[in-house]
Amino acid sequence: MNEGLVVVVRAIISFFSLLIFARILGKEQISQLTFFDYILGITIGSIASEATVDLSSRVWPHFVGLVSWALLAYLMQYISLKWRYAAKVIEGEPVVVIMNGKIMDKVLKKMKFRISDILELLRNQGIFDLNEVDYAILEPNGSLSVLKKPEYLPLTPKDMNIEVKPTGISTELIYDGRLIEENLRQMNKDKKWLMNQLKKHGIKDVSEAFLVTLNDAGSLYVDKYNDNIKKVKDIGDYKGPY
Amino acid sequence: MRKFFIIVIPIVTLLLFVLIMSSGNILKRPLGEDDDIPKSIDNIIEAVENEAWSEAASKLQDLDKLWDKVIKRVQFGSERDEINKLSTSIARLKGAVKAEDKAGALMELYEAYNHWDELGN
Repeated sequence: MNEGLVVVVRAIISFFSLLIFARILGKEQISQLTFFDYILGITIGSIASEATVDLSSRVWPHFVGLVSWALLAYLMQYISLKWRYAAKVIEGEPVVVIMNGKIMDKVLKKMKFRISDILELLRNQGIFDLNEVDYAILEPNGSLSVLKKPEYLPLTPKDMNIEVKPTGISTELIYDGRLIEENLRQMNKDKKWLMNQLKKHGIKDVSEAFLVTLNDAGSLYVDKYNDNIKKVKDIGDYKGPY
Repeated sequence: MRKFFIIVIPIVTLLLFVLIMSSGNILKRPLGEDDDIPKSIDNIIEAVENEAWSEAASKLQDLDKLWDKVIKRVQFGSERDEINKLSTSIARLKGAVKAEDKAGALMELYEAYNHWDELGN
């Protein structure tokens, strides 16, 4: 028996099965996972790893386990999508932990959260003074959403009655030295216009540009391969290997 | 067309995996005339029961070679433990045949039979 070869074949089976099931289960980002989703991911991953290296049993029972867990996860997702009440039971719901600037200590106790945890989550959002907080809501995925008191909210152009142009999102025109003509057409521009713009930045050929983006307001960002920076600033606090 | 492939490729891939995973039970069946392990074990049982030791030794050698050939195709859908146990049974059988120990040889032969049955199940 060629154990190495068997492990390679099993790894291919586990890897692609996992990939397919993960895509079917949805494209949630890690940060959006609830505690149960997290455990679910670990369990499914651990079954896949065992299927790969546990040669003492056939790969089939592991695969059945993998399919069963994926199916149950899918079922739970489906139920919580169709039935709001079940979603609240399965995934939890947002809980107000600070209301009108007051900490809801009973709620915290029920959620098994310490006040130091809440302070940490607030600090992560750049809030170091509890006086600034009007409302804080603990989301099912463990993150904290904060509404500051009006007097601590940042000033916006609207408050100052300043007129601003919409900037829109940037579209890549050149990526890694290659022109993306589809995006150029989408922005109602042509190659001639782009080359004129690039000439102003000292670029004669598309291949000299590393990244060029254009936003709806017409602002062009150009980055060349040759940055002309002799000494790159080192922000590390100790000498590394390079 | 693109959507069709997005659905079909994962389904075909999963079906292929299921086929590989259950291949142990299918591929252990004889594919040609000279790769029938149960028949080979039966022949040795017959030789041992008749105490035809030189015939048993030569048939055992054939079984050993045959088993090495079959391992290569059943290894992906079978458990390592059953494969190793059957290999051990054949090794012990060699000793029993050499010592012309009828009881020992029959015990190993029937055990080998059992491991063969369990292989890939």
